[in-house]
Amino acid sequence: MPQQRQEEENIEVWEDLVHIKDLVIAIIISTITTLGAYIIAPNDPPKPLIFGLVGAVGGFIISSLLIKPKRNFRYMDEEEE
Amino acid sequence: MDAVLIIQLIAASVAGAILYTIIGIAPGTDETAVLAPVTLVLVLSGFEPIVILAFFIAAIVAKKLTDSIPVAIAGIPGGVMSAPMVEHAMVLKKHGMPELSIRKMASGSVIGTVIAVPMSLLMANLIAPLSDEITQYASQIFLGGAIFLALMTKHRWIALLSIVPFAFLIQGLRMFYWETGIVPEDQTVFTSFFLGITIGPVILKLAELLNGRSRRKLPRFGKKDIAMRRTEKVKGFPNPFKILTGKEIGTTSISSILGVLTFFMSPVGMTIFLGETLTSRIKDPVKKAARAISSMDGLTNAAYLSGTLIPLIAIGLPLSPTAIGPGGPLFNAPPVFTEENNLHHMLSMSDFIVATLIGAIVAISITFYITIKYAQQICAFVFRFIPHEAMLGVFFGLVIMLAYMDAGIVNIVGVIVVALVAGFLHRKGVNYGVQFMTLYAAPWLVSLFL
Repeated sequence: MPQQRQEEENIEVWEDLVHIKDLVIAIIISTITTLGAYIIAPNDPPKPLIFGLVGAVGGFIISSLLIKPKRNFRYMDEEEE
Repeated sequence: MDAVLIIQLIAASVAGAILYTIIGIAPGTDETAVLAPVTLVLVLSGFEPIVILAFFIAAIVAKKLTDSIPVAIAGIPGGVMSAPMVEHAMVLKKHGMPELSIRKMASGSVIGTVIAVPMSLLMANLIAPLSDEITQYASQIFLGGAIFLALMTKHRWIALLSIVPFAFLIQGLRMFYWETGIVPEDQTVFTSFFLGITIGPVILKLAELLNGRSRRKLPRFGKKDIAMRRTEKVKGFPNPFKILTGKEIGTTSISSILGVLTFFMSPVGMTIFLGETLTSRIKDPVKKAARAISSMDGLTNAAYLSGTLIPLIAIGLPLSPTAIGPGGPLFNAPPVFTEENNLHHMLSMSDFIVATLIGAIVAISITFYITIKYAQQICAFVFRFIPHEAMLGVFFGLVIMLAYMDAGIVNIVGVIVVALVAGFLHRKGVNYGVQFMTLYAAPWLVSLFL
Protein backbone atom coordinates (compact mmCIF):
# COMPACT_ATOMS: atom_id res chain seq x y z
CA MET A 1 0.00 0.00 0.00
CA PRO A 2 1.32 3.50 -0.77
CA GLN A 3 2.46 5.40 2.28
CA GLN A 4 4.15 8.71 2.76
CA ARG A 5 7.85 8.33 2.25
CA GLN A 6 9.04 10.20 5.33
CA GLU A 7 6.96 8.02 7.64
CA GLU A 8 8.78 4.90 6.61
CA GLU A 9 11.63 4.86 9.01
CA ASN A 10 11.23 1.59 10.88
CA ILE A 11 13.41 -1.44 10.34
CA GLU A 12 12.79 -5.10 10.97
CA VAL A 13 14.59 -6.88 13.80
CA TRP A 14 13.46 -10.32 14.88
CA GLU A 15 10.25 -10.40 12.85
CA ASP A 16 8.84 -7.13 14.07
CA LEU A 17 9.37 -3.46 13.34
CA VAL A 18 11.44 -1.12 15.48
CA HIS A 19 12.59 2.44 15.28
CA ILE A 20 16.37 2.62 15.63
CA LYS A 21 16.40 5.53 18.07
CA ASP A 22 13.75 3.93 20.27
CA LEU A 23 15.61 0.65 20.22
CA VAL A 24 18.79 2.33 21.39
CA ILE A 25 16.84 4.08 24.16
CA ALA A 26 15.23 0.79 25.26
CA ILE A 27 18.59 -0.99 25.32
CA ILE A 28 20.20 1.79 27.34
CA ILE A 29 17.32 1.90 29.83
CA SER A 30 17.25 -1.89 30.31
CA THR A 31 21.00 -2.21 30.59
CA ILE A 32 21.21 0.54 33.19
CA THR A 33 18.33 -0.76 35.29
CA THR A 34 19.41 -4.42 35.08
CA LEU A 35 23.17 -4.12 35.43
CA GLY A 36 22.78 -1.16 37.78
CA ALA A 37 20.50 -3.08 40.14
CA TYR A 38 22.89 -6.04 40.01
CA ILE A 39 25.87 -3.90 40.96
CA ILE A 40 24.23 -1.87 43.76
CA ALA A 41 22.69 -4.99 45.35
CA PRO A 42 24.25 -6.24 48.60
CA ASN A 43 26.99 -8.71 47.80
CA ASP A 44 25.22 -11.71 49.23
CA PRO A 45 24.10 -14.26 46.64
CA PRO A 46 21.49 -14.66 45.30
CA LYS A 47 20.47 -11.07 46.07
CA PRO A 48 22.36 -9.45 43.15
CA LEU A 49 20.53 -11.66 40.65
CA ILE A 50 17.14 -11.01 42.15
CA PHE A 51 17.85 -7.27 42.15
CA GLY A 52 18.94 -7.62 38.53
CA LEU A 53 15.74 -9.44 37.59
CA VAL A 54 13.64 -6.76 39.27
CA GLY A 55 15.72 -4.17 37.42
CA ALA A 56 14.98 -5.94 34.14
CA VAL A 57 11.24 -5.90 34.81
CA GLY A 58 11.48 -2.24 35.78
CA GLY A 59 13.39 -1.42 32.61
CA PHE A 60 10.79 -3.26 30.58
CA ILE A 61 7.95 -1.30 32.14
CA ILE A 62 9.71 2.05 31.73
CA SER A 63 10.53 1.43 28.08
CA SER A 64 7.01 0.16 27.39
CA LEU A 65 5.64 3.41 28.77
CA LEU A 66 8.08 5.60 26.87
CA ILE A 67 8.02 3.88 23.50
CA LYS A 68 5.05 3.41 21.25
CA PRO A 69 4.75 0.09 19.41
CA LYS A 70 5.22 0.38 15.66
CA ARG A 71 1.96 -1.28 14.85
CA ASN A 72 -1.30 0.09 13.53
CA PHE A 73 -3.95 -1.89 15.21
CA ARG A 74 -7.62 -1.76 14.40
CA TYR A 75 -10.66 -3.93 14.54
CA MET A 76 -12.00 -4.90 11.19
CA ASP A 77 -15.74 -4.50 10.86
CA GLU A 78 -17.29 -7.14 8.65
CA GLU A 79 -16.59 -7.59 4.98
CA GLU A 80 -13.43 -5.52 4.52
CA GLU A 81 -10.25 -7.28 3.58
CA MET B 1 6.35 -33.92 49.94
CA ASP B 2 4.79 -31.29 52.17
CA ALA B 3 2.06 -28.79 51.56
CA VAL B 4 4.40 -25.80 51.48
CA LEU B 5 6.38 -27.27 48.61
CA ILE B 6 3.21 -28.11 46.69
CA ILE B 7 2.05 -24.52 47.11
CA GLN B 8 5.44 -23.29 45.87
CA LEU B 9 5.15 -25.57 42.85
CA ILE B 10 1.70 -24.26 42.05
CA ALA B 11 2.80 -20.66 42.53
CA ALA B 12 5.80 -21.14 40.24
CA SER B 13 3.58 -22.77 37.63
CA VAL B 14 1.05 -19.96 37.78
CA ALA B 15 3.83 -17.39 37.40
CA GLY B 16 5.36 -19.28 34.48
CA ALA B 17 2.00 -19.74 32.77
CA ILE B 18 0.98 -16.08 33.05
CA LEU B 19 4.36 -14.66 32.08
CA TYR B 20 4.68 -16.88 29.02
CA THR B 21 1.08 -16.43 27.97
CA ILE B 22 1.99 -12.79 27.39
CA ILE B 23 5.45 -13.44 25.94
CA GLY B 24 4.05 -16.17 23.69
CA ILE B 25 1.72 -13.73 22.02
CA ALA B 26 4.37 -11.12 21.33
CA PRO B 27 5.52 -11.60 17.74
CA GLY B 28 8.92 -13.01 16.87
CA THR B 29 9.87 -14.31 20.29
CA ASP B 30 12.29 -17.15 19.77
CA GLU B 31 11.78 -19.97 22.26
CA THR B 32 15.40 -20.27 23.28
CA ALA B 33 15.91 -16.56 23.60
CA VAL B 34 12.90 -15.99 25.84
CA LEU B 35 12.96 -19.16 27.94
CA ALA B 36 16.65 -19.70 28.58
CA PRO B 37 17.63 -16.36 30.19
CA VAL B 38 14.71 -16.27 32.62
CA THR B 39 15.13 -19.92 33.60
CA LEU B 40 18.82 -19.31 34.07
CA VAL B 41 18.26 -16.39 36.40
CA LEU B 42 15.84 -18.48 38.46
CA VAL B 43 18.32 -21.35 38.65
CA LEU B 44 21.15 -19.07 39.71
CA SER B 45 18.92 -17.31 42.23
CA GLY B 46 18.80 -20.53 44.18
CA PHE B 47 15.19 -21.61 43.84
CA GLU B 48 14.46 -25.26 44.65
CA PRO B 49 15.26 -27.44 41.62
CA ILE B 50 11.79 -28.98 41.63
CA VAL B 51 10.17 -25.53 41.67
CA ILE B 52 12.24 -24.52 38.67
CA LEU B 53 11.14 -27.61 36.77
CA ALA B 54 7.46 -26.85 37.46
CA PHE B 55 8.03 -23.27 36.30
CA PHE B 56 9.76 -24.41 33.14
CA ILE B 57 7.10 -26.97 32.21
CA ALA B 58 4.33 -24.44 32.80
CA ALA B 59 6.27 -21.90 30.75
CA ILE B 60 6.71 -24.14 27.71
CA VAL B 61 3.14 -25.38 27.75
CA ALA B 62 1.84 -21.81 28.03
CA LYS B 63 4.23 -20.45 25.43
CA LYS B 64 3.33 -23.19 22.95
CA LEU B 65 -0.37 -22.65 23.55
CA THR B 66 -0.18 -18.92 22.94
CA ASP B 67 2.46 -18.47 20.29
CA SER B 68 -0.01 -19.64 17.69
CA ILE B 69 -2.49 -16.89 18.54
CA PRO B 70 -0.82 -14.12 16.53
CA VAL B 71 -0.47 -16.62 13.68
CA ALA B 72 -4.20 -17.15 13.61
CA ILE B 73 -5.17 -13.54 14.08
CA ALA B 74 -2.58 -11.65 12.12
CA GLY B 75 -0.48 -14.21 10.25
CA ILE B 76 2.57 -13.20 12.30
CA PRO B 77 4.37 -16.12 13.90
CA GLY B 78 4.61 -15.76 17.69
CA GLY B 79 7.77 -17.82 17.65
CA VAL B 80 10.06 -19.81 15.41
CA MET B 81 8.06 -22.96 15.99
CA SER B 82 4.79 -21.51 14.84
CA ALA B 83 6.24 -20.28 11.55
CA PRO B 84 5.30 -23.47 9.65
CA MET B 85 1.67 -22.95 10.64
CA VAL B 86 1.31 -19.53 9.07
CA GLU B 87 0.32 -20.84 5.66
CA HIS B 88 -2.52 -22.99 6.98
CA ALA B 89 -3.71 -20.41 9.46
CA MET B 90 -3.91 -17.88 6.63
CA VAL B 91 -6.30 -20.20 4.79
CA LEU B 92 -8.66 -20.17 7.76
CA LYS B 93 -8.22 -16.44 8.20
CA LYS B 94 -9.08 -15.89 4.55
CA HIS B 95 -12.27 -17.84 5.09
CA GLY B 96 -13.00 -15.55 8.04
CA MET B 97 -12.35 -18.11 10.74
CA PRO B 98 -9.36 -16.92 12.77
CA GLU B 99 -10.99 -17.86 16.07
CA LEU B 100 -11.54 -21.36 14.72
CA SER B 101 -7.81 -21.72 14.14
CA ILE B 102 -7.06 -20.53 17.65
CA ARG B 103 -9.42 -23.10 19.12
CA LYS B 104 -8.09 -25.89 16.94
CA MET B 105 -4.47 -25.03 17.65
CA ALA B 106 -4.97 -24.67 21.37
CA SER B 107 -6.85 -27.96 21.50
CA GLY B 108 -4.09 -29.61 19.49
CA SER B 109 -1.61 -28.28 22.05
CA VAL B 110 -3.61 -29.80 24.88
CA ILE B 111 -3.65 -33.21 23.21
CA GLY B 112 0.07 -32.95 22.52
CA THR B 113 0.69 -32.23 26.20
CA VAL B 114 -1.59 -34.99 27.43
CA ILE B 115 0.21 -37.52 25.24
CA ALA B 116 3.74 -36.22 25.74
CA VAL B 117 3.85 -36.21 29.54
CA PRO B 118 3.20 -39.92 30.23
CA MET B 119 5.00 -41.06 27.10
CA SER B 120 8.12 -39.07 27.92
CA LEU B 121 8.23 -40.56 31.41
CA LEU B 122 7.93 -44.00 29.86
CA MET B 123 10.58 -43.39 27.20
CA ALA B 124 12.89 -41.96 29.81
CA ASN B 125 12.63 -45.19 31.78
CA LEU B 126 13.47 -47.21 28.69
CA ILE B 127 16.54 -45.12 27.92
CA ALA B 128 17.74 -44.71 31.50
CA PRO B 129 19.70 -48.02 31.65
CA LEU B 130 21.91 -46.75 28.82
CA SER B 131 22.62 -43.56 30.67
CA ASP B 132 26.08 -44.54 31.99
CA GLU B 133 27.27 -45.51 28.54
CA ILE B 134 25.90 -42.31 27.08
CA THR B 135 27.41 -39.96 29.67
CA GLN B 136 30.80 -41.58 29.26
CA TYR B 137 30.92 -40.51 25.64
CA ALA B 138 29.12 -37.20 26.16
CA SER B 139 31.62 -35.02 24.29
CA GLN B 140 31.73 -37.38 21.35
CA ILE B 141 27.95 -37.51 21.30
CA PHE B 142 27.73 -33.72 21.31
CA LEU B 143 30.12 -33.54 18.38
CA GLY B 144 28.08 -36.22 16.66
CA GLY B 145 24.97 -34.21 17.43
CA ALA B 146 26.48 -31.07 15.97
CA ILE B 147 27.45 -32.94 12.79
CA PHE B 148 24.05 -34.63 12.59
CA LEU B 149 22.13 -31.38 13.05
CA ALA B 150 24.45 -29.67 10.58
CA LEU B 151 23.74 -32.30 7.95
CA MET B 152 20.00 -31.96 8.54
CA THR B 153 19.97 -28.26 7.69
CA LYS B 154 19.60 -26.72 4.27
CA HIS B 155 23.01 -25.09 4.36
CA ARG B 156 24.84 -28.17 5.51
CA TRP B 157 28.34 -27.44 4.27
CA ILE B 158 28.74 -24.10 5.97
CA ALA B 159 27.16 -25.59 9.09
CA LEU B 160 29.67 -28.43 9.03
CA LEU B 161 32.57 -26.08 8.37
CA SER B 162 31.58 -23.82 11.27
CA ILE B 163 31.92 -26.46 13.99
CA VAL B 164 35.68 -26.55 14.57
CA PRO B 165 36.39 -22.80 14.20
CA PHE B 166 33.51 -21.94 16.51
CA ALA B 167 34.79 -24.41 19.10
CA PHE B 168 38.19 -22.72 18.87
CA LEU B 169 36.68 -19.30 19.45
CA ILE B 170 34.86 -20.47 22.59
CA GLN B 171 37.75 -22.43 24.02
CA GLY B 172 40.18 -19.68 23.04
CA LEU B 173 38.26 -17.12 25.09
CA ARG B 174 38.13 -19.49 28.05
CA MET B 175 41.88 -20.05 27.90
CA PHE B 176 42.43 -16.32 27.69
CA TYR B 177 40.35 -15.83 30.85
CA TRP B 178 42.37 -18.52 32.65
CA GLU B 179 45.66 -17.15 31.42
CA THR B 180 44.92 -13.63 32.61
CA GLY B 181 43.47 -14.85 35.88
CA ILE B 182 40.08 -13.25 35.27
CA VAL B 183 38.52 -16.64 35.91
CA PRO B 184 40.12 -19.32 38.15
CA GLU B 185 41.43 -22.35 36.22
CA ASP B 186 38.86 -24.71 37.67
CA GLN B 187 35.95 -22.63 36.42
CA THR B 188 34.54 -22.72 32.92
CA VAL B 189 32.57 -19.82 31.52
CA PHE B 190 29.49 -21.37 30.01
CA THR B 191 26.32 -19.47 30.77
CA SER B 192 27.22 -16.22 29.15
CA PHE B 193 28.54 -17.85 25.98
CA PHE B 194 25.30 -19.78 25.78
CA LEU B 195 23.38 -16.51 25.97
CA GLY B 196 25.76 -14.88 23.53
CA ILE B 197 24.80 -17.51 20.97
CA THR B 198 21.13 -17.03 21.78
CA ILE B 199 21.14 -13.30 21.25
CA GLY B 200 23.66 -13.45 18.38
CA PRO B 201 21.32 -12.64 15.50
CA VAL B 202 20.04 -9.53 17.25
CA ILE B 203 23.52 -8.32 18.24
CA LEU B 204 24.72 -8.72 14.66
CA LYS B 205 21.77 -6.72 13.38
CA LEU B 206 22.44 -3.99 15.93
CA ALA B 207 26.11 -3.90 15.03
CA GLU B 208 25.20 -3.42 11.38
CA LEU B 209 23.13 -0.41 12.29
CA LEU B 210 26.37 1.29 13.33
CA ASN B 211 27.50 1.19 9.75
CA GLY B 212 25.90 4.13 7.99
CA ARG B 213 26.01 2.60 4.55
CA SER B 214 24.34 -0.66 5.46
CA ARG B 215 21.91 1.22 7.68
CA ARG B 216 20.73 3.27 4.73
CA LYS B 217 20.46 0.14 2.62
CA LEU B 218 18.09 -1.62 5.03
CA PRO B 219 14.51 -1.84 3.87
CA ARG B 220 12.37 0.72 5.66
CA PHE B 221 8.80 0.20 6.69
CA GLY B 222 5.95 2.33 7.97
CA LYS B 223 3.95 0.78 10.72
CA LYS B 224 2.81 -2.79 10.73
CA ASP B 225 -0.87 -2.98 9.91
CA ILE B 226 -2.79 -5.45 11.98
CA ALA B 227 -6.51 -5.82 11.48
CA MET B 228 -8.61 -8.09 13.60
CA ARG B 229 -12.17 -9.24 13.16
CA ARG B 230 -14.29 -9.10 16.29
CA THR B 231 -15.24 -12.57 17.41
CA GLU B 232 -18.04 -13.94 19.49
CA LYS B 233 -17.67 -14.85 23.13
CA VAL B 234 -17.30 -18.52 24.01
CA LYS B 235 -19.54 -19.69 26.81
CA GLY B 236 -18.58 -22.09 29.59
CA PHE B 237 -15.30 -23.94 30.00
CA PRO B 238 -13.97 -25.07 26.62
CA ASN B 239 -13.44 -28.78 26.02
CA PRO B 240 -10.61 -29.58 23.59
CA PHE B 241 -12.13 -32.93 22.70
CA LYS B 242 -15.32 -31.26 21.53
CA ILE B 243 -13.52 -28.53 19.60
CA LEU B 244 -11.65 -31.05 17.46
CA THR B 245 -13.33 -33.60 15.22
CA GLY B 246 -12.61 -37.31 15.64
CA LYS B 247 -10.25 -37.32 12.67
CA GLU B 248 -8.39 -34.28 13.94
CA ILE B 249 -7.93 -35.90 17.34
CA GLY B 250 -6.59 -38.98 15.55
CA THR B 251 -4.04 -37.13 13.40
CA THR B 252 -3.02 -34.92 16.30
CA SER B 253 -2.45 -37.95 18.52
CA ILE B 254 -0.36 -39.69 15.88
CA SER B 255 1.78 -36.66 15.24
CA SER B 256 2.20 -36.06 18.98
CA ILE B 257 3.38 -39.64 19.46
CA LEU B 258 5.85 -39.24 16.59
CA GLY B 259 6.93 -35.96 18.14
CA VAL B 260 7.85 -37.77 21.34
CA LEU B 261 9.64 -40.60 19.53
CA THR B 262 11.75 -38.15 17.55
CA PHE B 263 12.61 -36.00 20.57
CA PHE B 264 16.25 -35.78 19.49
CA MET B 265 15.39 -34.20 16.13
CA SER B 266 14.78 -30.56 15.31
CA PRO B 267 11.14 -29.85 16.24
CA VAL B 268 10.65 -27.28 13.48
CA GLY B 269 11.81 -29.72 10.84
CA MET B 270 9.55 -32.46 12.16
CA THR B 271 6.59 -30.08 12.33
CA ILE B 272 6.92 -29.13 8.70
CA PHE B 273 7.55 -32.68 7.56
CA LEU B 274 4.76 -34.42 9.52
CA GLY B 275 2.23 -31.62 9.23
CA GLU B 276 2.47 -31.80 5.46
CA THR B 277 2.60 -35.59 5.15
CA LEU B 278 -0.35 -36.28 7.39
CA THR B 279 -2.65 -33.86 5.63
CA SER B 280 -1.52 -34.05 2.02
CA ARG B 281 -4.48 -36.14 0.92
CA ILE B 282 -7.25 -33.89 2.20
CA LYS B 283 -8.89 -31.88 -0.58
CA ASP B 284 -11.13 -29.33 1.17
CA PRO B 285 -8.79 -26.40 1.99
CA VAL B 286 -10.55 -25.48 5.24
CA LYS B 287 -10.59 -29.04 6.57
CA LYS B 288 -7.02 -29.54 5.50
CA ALA B 289 -5.87 -26.37 7.21
CA ALA B 290 -7.74 -27.22 10.41
CA ARG B 291 -6.25 -30.71 10.45
CA ALA B 292 -2.76 -29.38 9.74
CA ILE B 293 -2.70 -26.70 12.41
CA SER B 294 -4.16 -28.89 15.14
CA SER B 295 -1.70 -31.70 14.47
CA MET B 296 1.25 -29.33 14.06
CA ASP B 297 0.48 -27.66 17.34
CA GLY B 298 0.14 -31.03 19.05
CA LEU B 299 3.47 -32.06 17.63
CA THR B 300 5.40 -28.96 18.64
CA ASN B 301 4.07 -29.27 22.15
CA ALA B 302 4.88 -32.96 22.39
CA ALA B 303 8.33 -32.47 20.86
CA TYR B 304 9.12 -29.69 23.28
CA LEU B 305 8.01 -31.55 26.38
CA SER B 306 9.65 -34.83 25.43
CA GLY B 307 12.79 -33.06 24.23
CA THR B 308 13.13 -31.53 27.68
CA LEU B 309 11.92 -34.37 29.88
CA ILE B 310 13.50 -37.45 28.32
CA PRO B 311 17.12 -36.23 28.37
CA LEU B 312 16.55 -34.65 31.77
CA ILE B 313 15.13 -37.76 33.41
CA ALA B 314 17.06 -40.47 31.60
CA ILE B 315 20.50 -39.05 30.89
CA GLY B 316 21.20 -35.72 32.56
CA LEU B 317 22.83 -34.33 29.43
CA PRO B 318 21.00 -32.04 27.01
CA LEU B 319 20.82 -34.40 24.06
CA SER B 320 17.99 -32.85 22.09
CA PRO B 321 17.56 -29.48 20.40
CA THR B 322 14.98 -28.44 23.00
CA ALA B 323 17.07 -29.54 25.95
CA ILE B 324 20.15 -27.83 24.66
CA GLY B 325 18.33 -24.64 23.71
CA PRO B 326 15.41 -23.43 25.85
CA GLY B 327 16.01 -26.11 28.50
CA GLY B 328 19.77 -25.56 28.61
CA PRO B 329 19.85 -23.92 32.05
CA LEU B 330 18.21 -27.00 33.58
CA PHE B 331 21.28 -29.03 32.63
CA ASN B 332 24.14 -26.64 32.95
CA ALA B 333 24.15 -23.37 34.87
CA PRO B 334 27.36 -23.23 36.85
CA PRO B 335 27.80 -23.07 39.77
CA VAL B 336 24.28 -24.34 40.61
CA PHE B 337 23.88 -26.98 37.92
CA THR B 338 26.70 -28.73 36.10
CA GLU B 339 26.81 -31.68 33.75
CA GLU B 340 27.58 -33.89 36.75
CA ASN B 341 25.05 -32.35 39.08
CA ASN B 342 21.79 -31.04 37.68
CA LEU B 343 18.07 -31.72 37.88
CA HIS B 344 18.71 -35.26 36.67
CA HIS B 345 20.82 -36.00 39.73
CA MET B 346 18.89 -33.91 42.23
CA LEU B 347 15.33 -35.01 41.60
CA SER B 348 13.75 -38.41 42.05
CA MET B 349 11.32 -39.95 39.58
CA SER B 350 8.37 -38.94 41.73
CA ASP B 351 9.70 -35.38 41.91
CA PHE B 352 9.79 -35.30 38.12
CA ILE B 353 6.26 -36.63 37.84
CA VAL B 354 4.83 -34.24 40.41
CA ALA B 355 6.56 -31.14 39.04
CA THR B 356 5.69 -31.98 35.44
CA LEU B 357 2.07 -32.73 36.20
CA ILE B 358 1.57 -29.62 38.31
CA GLY B 359 3.32 -27.43 35.73
CA ALA B 360 1.38 -28.90 32.80
CA ILE B 361 -2.01 -28.96 34.50
CA VAL B 362 -1.74 -25.42 35.86
CA ALA B 363 -0.57 -24.08 32.51
CA ILE B 364 -3.27 -25.88 30.55
CA SER B 365 -6.07 -24.82 32.84
CA ILE B 366 -5.01 -21.18 33.01
CA THR B 367 -3.70 -20.68 29.53
CA PHE B 368 -6.11 -22.85 27.59
CA TYR B 369 -9.05 -21.15 29.28
CA ILE B 370 -7.60 -17.69 28.74
CA THR B 371 -6.56 -18.48 25.17
CA ILE B 372 -9.97 -19.62 24.08
CA LYS B 373 -11.89 -16.93 25.92
CA TYR B 374 -9.75 -13.84 25.69
CA ALA B 375 -7.40 -14.46 22.76
CA GLN B 376 -8.56 -11.32 21.07
CA GLN B 377 -8.31 -9.01 24.03
CA ILE B 378 -4.82 -10.21 24.91
CA CYS B 379 -3.65 -9.83 21.35
CA ALA B 380 -5.07 -6.33 21.18
CA PHE B 381 -3.31 -5.42 24.42
CA VAL B 382 0.07 -6.78 23.34
CA PHE B 383 -0.09 -5.28 19.87
CA ARG B 384 -1.16 -1.90 21.19
CA PHE B 385 0.96 -1.44 24.28
CA ILE B 386 4.02 -3.67 24.28
CA PRO B 387 6.72 -2.22 22.03
CA HIS B 388 9.11 -4.67 20.43
CA GLU B 389 11.96 -2.39 21.47
CA ALA B 390 11.22 -3.00 25.15
CA MET B 391 11.47 -6.76 24.70
CA LEU B 392 14.74 -6.57 22.82
CA GLY B 393 16.02 -4.17 25.46
CA VAL B 394 15.22 -6.54 28.32
CA PHE B 395 16.94 -9.51 26.77
CA PHE B 396 19.96 -7.39 25.98
CA GLY B 397 20.05 -6.17 29.58
CA LEU B 398 19.81 -9.71 30.98
CA VAL B 399 22.59 -10.95 28.75
CA ILE B 400 24.90 -8.09 29.73
CA MET B 401 24.19 -8.67 33.42
CA LEU B 402 24.90 -12.41 33.21
CA ALA B 403 28.04 -11.78 31.19
CA TYR B 404 29.26 -9.39 33.86
CA MET B 405 28.42 -11.94 36.53
CA ASP B 406 30.44 -14.69 34.85
CA ALA B 407 33.71 -12.80 34.42
CA GLY B 408 33.34 -9.06 34.78
CA ILE B 409 33.67 -6.31 32.17
CA VAL B 410 36.09 -8.29 30.00
CA ASN B 411 33.46 -10.96 29.54
CA ILE B 412 30.93 -8.43 28.26
CA VAL B 413 33.38 -7.90 25.40
CA GLY B 414 33.90 -11.67 25.12
CA VAL B 415 30.19 -12.32 24.90
CA ILE B 416 29.82 -9.65 22.22
CA VAL B 417 32.52 -11.43 20.19
CA VAL B 418 30.75 -14.77 20.58
CA ALA B 419 27.42 -13.14 19.74
CA LEU B 420 28.74 -11.48 16.59
CA VAL B 421 30.22 -14.71 15.28
CA ALA B 422 27.16 -16.72 16.31
CA GLY B 423 24.88 -14.17 14.69
CA PHE B 424 26.89 -14.29 11.48
CA LEU B 425 26.80 -18.10 11.42
CA HIS B 426 23.09 -18.07 12.19
CA ARG B 427 22.47 -15.80 9.24
CA LYS B 428 24.44 -18.12 6.99
CA GLY B 429 22.15 -20.97 7.99
CA VAL B 430 23.95 -22.56 10.95
CA ASN B 431 21.10 -23.04 13.41
CA TYR B 432 21.13 -22.81 17.19
CA GLY B 433 21.24 -26.61 17.59
CA VAL B 434 24.58 -26.91 15.80
CA GLN B 435 26.05 -23.98 17.72
CA PHE B 436 24.94 -25.22 21.14
CA MET B 437 26.21 -28.74 20.46
CA THR B 438 29.53 -27.19 19.46
CA LEU B 439 29.58 -25.17 22.69
CA TYR B 440 29.26 -28.41 24.65
CA ALA B 441 31.77 -30.33 22.57
CA ALA B 442 34.31 -27.48 22.48
CA PRO B 443 36.66 -28.46 25.36
CA TRP B 444 37.11 -32.01 24.09
CA LEU B 445 37.16 -31.05 20.42
CA VAL B 446 39.89 -28.44 20.92
CA SER B 447 41.94 -30.78 23.13
CA LEU B 448 42.23 -33.13 20.13
CA PHE B 449 44.32 -30.50 18.36
CA LEU B 450 46.60 -29.60 21.26
